Amino acid sequence: MSLVDRLLPALLWLLGVLTVAGITHLVAIFALPKILMKDPYAQIAMTAKPAEFTLLPLSGSGSPAIPFADPALVQAVCPYDLTQGALRLHADTGGDRLLTLSFRTMEGEVFYSMTDLAAQQGKMDIVVLTAAQLDAAEANDDEDNPSPELRLIAPQKKGMVIAGALALFPGERGEAEERIKSVSCMAEPIPQE
Amino acid sequence: MSLSTAIPRRRALRAGAALLSKYLTAGGAGVLLGLAVTFAIVERGKGFAAAESGPWTSWPRGGTPDLDPYTRAILAYSGKMALSGSAGITFVASGDSWGAEFDSACDYVIEGEIPSARYWTLTLLSPEGIPIPNRANRHGFTSSEILRASGGGFAVTVSRNARPGNWLPLGRSSRFILVLNLYDSELGASLSSLSAGNMPRILKGRCG
Repeated sequence: MSLVDRLLPALLWLLGVLTVAGITHLVAIFALPKILMKDPYAQIAMTAKPAEFTLLPLSGSGSPAIPFADPALVQAVCPYDLTQGALRLHADTGGDRLLTLSFRTMEGEVFYSMTDLAAQQGKMDIVVLTAAQLDAAEANDDEDNPSPELRLIAPQKKGMVIAGALALFPGERGEAEERIKSVSCMAEPIPQE
Repeated sequence: MSLSTAIPRRRALRAGAALLSKYLTAGGAGVLLGLAVTFAIVERGKGFAAAESGPWTSWPRGGTPDLDPYTRAILAYSGKMALSGSAGITFVASGDSWGAEFDSACDYVIEGEIPSARYWTLTLLSPEGIPIPNRANRHGFTSSEILRASGGGFAVTVSRNARPGNWLPLGRSSRFILVLNLYDSELGASLSSLSAGNMPRILKGRCG
């Protein structure tokens, strides 16, 4: 038996090992996020009241906390379900105080985010809707008097809005909570044509 | 069955069993190797979508659908996918500017430039992203409350023991990370052009 005849089975075995290793690696890389990713915002949103802001607990307060959340940022979550209608958000901004809004799916994907710098004349008016609801809303628009609100098409019917207000000093936490509470988040039926 | 036909059949069975065992060991070794490589990548890697500047790493597309599978797996494994929760840009450092991992027995000084932003916060967290309990109940500083030198510069000291100026207490933790959040920063559009000179340095101080 020549050297090639002796080495060939071992090389084929090694090739088999590497092929299986490659397939396993790719499957594991694609499967890991689905297995491990439990979006902490989504977990809290599932127990929060829909179409209403619920303040998120502080880390270390005994409640489930949001890992890597900025301790200086007071946050609240407003879960929504667009099955019955759109979601309308309104915030009055002012005083150069940071207010953030991020719009997420229940899988943790952020499809839009903004801060109070995007406010028009001190007001933020946003409507989250599906593509069909946007068509219905546009059909009802007054062409001479266009709506000033920002309309966002959600990629999925269920999702959440995370609002954040920065407390610049530890003593300003209560004031930041009040700013968050002043942001309204409510379901809004879209009139049909 | 005669003896002359039973022996070849036994040999064929043995050969088949040997071949099956070769397939099984190749499959088992392949699965183990594949899982080991995956573990090494998600444990040590930062992913293709990471933006690095000195000791600081950011994942600007962290919560977006166009993230590559490797970065998605790495962020899911480390729990850092939650970093995309706010509207700011977040940088994480788990070592000093010389590339050494943080040692909780040592002091660290954070000083230098912070990229232009409306507000920023610097926070000390556990590697799992939870604030570290300490007697001073201090977990970070905001750009508004930080004490600055007359020239406008600042220095934050991370230490187990009380330090003058901007002191971030380590508590009793043995491992920690630093998180820098920039809100309304001009960096958003040009994160790829970030250099170590635009970001604060992390210098190791005395140990023990």
